[in-house]
Amino acid sequence: MQISDLPYPDPGVPDARSGPRFLLWLGRNQLGGQLKSLAWGLLHFSAVAGLPYGVGYAVQAVVDGSGSRLAAAGALIVLLGVAIACGDTMLHRTAVTNWITAAARVQQLLARRTAALGAALTRRVAAGEVVAVSTGDVEKIGWFVEALSRFAAAALTVVLVCVGLVIYQPALGVVVAIGMPVLALAVLPLLPRATRRADHQREKAGRATELASDTVAGLRVLRGIGGEELFLDRYRRASQEVRRAAVRSARMWSLISAIQVLLPGLLMIVVVWYGVRLAGEGRISVGELVTVYSAVMILNYPLRHFEEIAMAYSFSRPSAQRAARVLALERITEPAGGLRDAGVPTGDLFDPETGVLAPAGRLTAVVCGDPDLAGRLADRLGGHPASRDASEPADPAVAEPSVLLGGVPLDELPLDVARTAVLVQDKDPVLLSGTLTELLDVPSSGSVRPDEALAAAQCTDVLDALAQASLDDDPMNARITERGRSLSGGQRQRLALARSLVTDPEALVLDEPTSAVDSHTEARIAQGVRTLRRGRTTVVLTSSPLLLDRADGVVFVHDGRVAAVGEHRDLVRSEPRYRAVVTRETDEETAVAARTGPTGFTTGTGSGSRASTGTSTGIDTDIEIDIEETA
Amino acid sequence: MIGVVPPAYDPAAPTTANTLPVGAPATVRAYVRELYRRHRRAFLLLVGVNTVAVVASMTGPYLLGGLIQDVADGTGAAGALSDLHLERSIGLFALALVVQAVFVRQVRLRGAMLGEQMLADLREDFLVRSVGLPPGVLERAGTGDLLSRITTDIDRLANAMREAVPQLSIGVVWAALLIGGLAVTAPPLAPAILIAVPVLVLGCRWYFKRAPSAYRSEAAGYAAVAAALAETVDAGRTVEAHRLGDRRVRMSEQRVKEWTAWERYTLFLRSVLFPVINAVHVLVLLSVLLIGGVFVLQGWIDVGQLTTSALIAQMLVDPVGLILRWYDELQVAQVSLARLVGVRDIEPDAGDASVRPDGRDVLADEVNFGYREGVDVLRKVSLEVEPGTRLALVGPSGAGKSTLGRLLAGIYAPRTGQVTLGGAELSRMQAERVRSHVALVNQEHHVFVGSLRDNLRLARTGAEDAELWAALGAVDADAWARGLDDGLDTEVGSGGTALTPAQAQQIALARLVLADPHTLVLDEATSLLDPRAARNLERSLSRVLDGRTVVAIAHRLHTAHDADVIAVVEDGRIRELGSHDDLVAADGAYAALWRSWHG
Repeated sequence: MQISDLPYPDPGVPDARSGPRFLLWLGRNQLGGQLKSLAWGLLHFSAVAGLPYGVGYAVQAVVDGSGSRLAAAGALIVLLGVAIACGDTMLHRTAVTNWITAAARVQQLLARRTAALGAALTRRVAAGEVVAVSTGDVEKIGWFVEALSRFAAAALTVVLVCVGLVIYQPALGVVVAIGMPVLALAVLPLLPRATRRADHQREKAGRATELASDTVAGLRVLRGIGGEELFLDRYRRASQEVRRAAVRSARMWSLISAIQVLLPGLLMIVVVWYGVRLAGEGRISVGELVTVYSAVMILNYPLRHFEEIAMAYSFSRPSAQRAARVLALERITEPAGGLRDAGVPTGDLFDPETGVLAPAGRLTAVVCGDPDLAGRLADRLGGHPASRDASEPADPAVAEPSVLLGGVPLDELPLDVARTAVLVQDKDPVLLSGTLTELLDVPSSGSVRPDEALAAAQCTDVLDALAQASLDDDPMNARITERGRSLSGGQRQRLALARSLVTDPEALVLDEPTSAVDSHTEARIAQGVRTLRRGRTTVVLTSSPLLLDRADGVVFVHDGRVAAVGEHRDLVRSEPRYRAVVTRETDEETAVAARTGPTGFTTGTGSGSRASTGTSTGIDTDIEIDIEETA
Repeated sequence: MIGVVPPAYDPAAPTTANTLPVGAPATVRAYVRELYRRHRRAFLLLVGVNTVAVVASMTGPYLLGGLIQDVADGTGAAGALSDLHLERSIGLFALALVVQAVFVRQVRLRGAMLGEQMLADLREDFLVRSVGLPPGVLERAGTGDLLSRITTDIDRLANAMREAVPQLSIGVVWAALLIGGLAVTAPPLAPAILIAVPVLVLGCRWYFKRAPSAYRSEAAGYAAVAAALAETVDAGRTVEAHRLGDRRVRMSEQRVKEWTAWERYTLFLRSVLFPVINAVHVLVLLSVLLIGGVFVLQGWIDVGQLTTSALIAQMLVDPVGLILRWYDELQVAQVSLARLVGVRDIEPDAGDASVRPDGRDVLADEVNFGYREGVDVLRKVSLEVEPGTRLALVGPSGAGKSTLGRLLAGIYAPRTGQVTLGGAELSRMQAERVRSHVALVNQEHHVFVGSLRDNLRLARTGAEDAELWAALGAVDADAWARGLDDGLDTEVGSGGTALTPAQAQQIALARLVLADPHTLVLDEATSLLDPRAARNLERSLSRVLDGRTVVAIAHRLHTAHDADVIAVVEDGRIRELGSHDDLVAADGAYAALWRSWHG
């Protein structure tokens, strides 16, 4: 696999049963790359290890006064140099290719899994985990994958050199062969503690960054009302905690560094002491002594890979575990009875649970006193509701009955068909980043042009604002930042509405589509949507009189069932509970209105006078109830 | 391998302009000098311990050289003397080793301490500067740019400060001492290592001209892969509802393609650099051995000197690697530093301490204002708000309501005309003084990470718990707040106890009670809430408003209905002005809307 061939046309089906199995699966998929990397690594390390021989040979040649052998030593070193350079470069290229292909594969798998989970993701804790895997864990997995073949090459080299030394100079070689494993393993016991301290430092640093970005995010509040010093002090404390944790961690790592100097040094002293005596007795030559000495010096280099692989594995195991967990998530949308094989149905949209009926081709408004219930109703109206976590197949005995479109149960249609038939725009639609053209380029019927949709959703001022930010004055090319954060709440809502209108589904369900829009604009949107959706089925969940007034019919849901059906103006007069929800009466006024009858309806008093009566204890309990409802 | 050209698409290229300035090179240099001055002692200490460690590390090769010389010279005759020499040498070697180990530990530790101290200074400095920014700059620039500086740029600098600066100073001192050691051991040999210098210089110049920007693009490309996925996760419902799953997968794959293209390019850069560095090492070793060998044969230096030199030449691998490893990190850091230091270039808005309001009258007089040259958003707006009255601003989106509100809150200064509070010009007043009189309340009800107590006390530093409870009670928030596990110590904000939007808004209101400004500008304060939750909140709000002057940017008509005076803003001008009944009677734009809304 070459980097230039990425992304994979198909990243494959991962073995996500456990972390180690997932690592193994990744490794099996790049076996060729690992072997290549191992081969180049062997060339590199053995050439590096061969260098001392060249140096020793040269010194011996000089001691012996032989110019020709000195030249031969030079030629040997040049040869080794070429091997080192080739091996080093190619080892790096192959190892990095291994990590990039592994990382790309995991990212692709995550993207596919995320798209398949869709709405189910937001209901689960997994949302944070997917992001954590993508931002942090992929790198750690990649690190292990990359280090693996380097380690294997280094380990083989160390063994080869020890064997070589024993053969080349048995007396000294044995000393080195005994010393090497000690050097390789000496710092391993310290590593867990060092990595724990490093983790602790990272945690503190994360906390400080969080505090800083939180302070900056709320900076307008701080500058508007005060408290800068309070937050600066807090940040300074966090920042100093990071510093202390980092120094504490550095103490451990510096101890490891010292040991890494001390132990090879001791081996070196033993080699020198023993070697010089052997040389003095004439049992080995000067050149051999220099060779052994530089071999010990240079072997430090492959030895470092022992520590690296230990660390890489300890870091990547939990990461692989998490990746495997995320990749094993599934969304089951198939009902117990199997799926229907049908086209996109048409007709009335009916919810047996509440009795809400939206006649085909008409604009129906649904008023729900309880905002939570409204959200659930909207979710259900699309079929395959995400709120019913589909990780386990629904038990048909207790399952809510499916919403019907033209008599066909949506839950029994394939997910994609159900979504094509009914588009539910939830209360918090997300604007995906990209240009406005890209935003409005969604799967659609093709019969509503983006400019028509933008006009109906009253987006003129959004277009003006975007044109200013655009590089070429064309608002369609302006970039919308993530979640549309650069736009106001009302602007975001109107763009989301335009996107839903472009889609032009058989049935469109809108949950509070204009809650952040001012009254002037809301009135125009109501008219625009009505005109554009003429002849199509549209459901609006709202309590805004401006929208209700323009609906073909209004359905009032109370206590989970349809309580009244009719036109807005009639319902306001005839149904006090309806009036309580859609007009801005306070509860006290509702009570008054109920006592005096429908004709006693008042339009609300000044909020100042309300405040004066608002100290009664009744209000506290009222708010408590409300919080429970919205939590 | 053939050359790889840099990919055409650069993920690091800015998609939006910097909304805040970036520091000029001179500013950055001045800042670096200041940083050095502040940490001179620690820096010199690091260089000191490093010198000892390096000198100790050269003892081994030096002693071995001497011993080799002995063995090469000595034959059996000086056996006893050689033994003594050997033991002394081994003793020295062991001593040097212990010194080296101790000082290497100190180098690592001192390096980390210096780096961490510099980093802590830098990030604290930056936040101090950030919280001192004038409110007008924040409104206009938004907090996005600032946020990316405090996360991304501080992160990049963390690497540089923590590792690159100490490691580079270590590497430079180390290499210089080794070369010095070589020159002392065998002076005639010192020029031999110069042979490798041109190769190193040429290779590095080629590499470092391309590397920093390529690595920046590569990092941005990688971040974009994760960002695309995070967005898909975040937008799960929307993605499913609009059937965007396949497009998101294709998008992720496109990002992978863009990122790996940069990986491929940087890999090519390193494929050139690595052989150069390897060649340099081998060249140094080769020239020392061959030229030195010839010198020994000629009798200009002895075998011991040659051995020491060869061993030192091999030791050069480490410091050179260190320098190359961290040098480009420093270049990347420079860019980030410029972005951080840039915030220092913004003039803190000092204001005039002698400007004090006399009274509570808010007055706008013939105000013209625009965000861009030549385009006025407000034209000839005159308005008087008497103390204790409620003014509602209504009108379509983009008419200039919010802008007018911000001018009345003293956040922006009018281009021409005046906005005064009690006869004093708001824009010339100190921000701290303005906010003790006027507060702007917007949709942003930010709950800070931290205790509930901190979240409230920011409005009145040093407030007693009883005052905080009273403020919570005033906005009907004490019931749920008392229900929290740790009361005022409960951790709230992201990662802590989750509050509902309504509760967050109540906290914002409680802050207002504590800060107690006499005039409030409300900008669609409750508009993002669920209509039903908003209704309960309005009760809390109305108590906060009691007795204060209020300018409400009205979003819902009932707010306007309750106001004493309503101003209909259209196209940057005030079209209608009067009480609800006046305007309904006048049968203009407001009346039409009211009828439609009220049914």
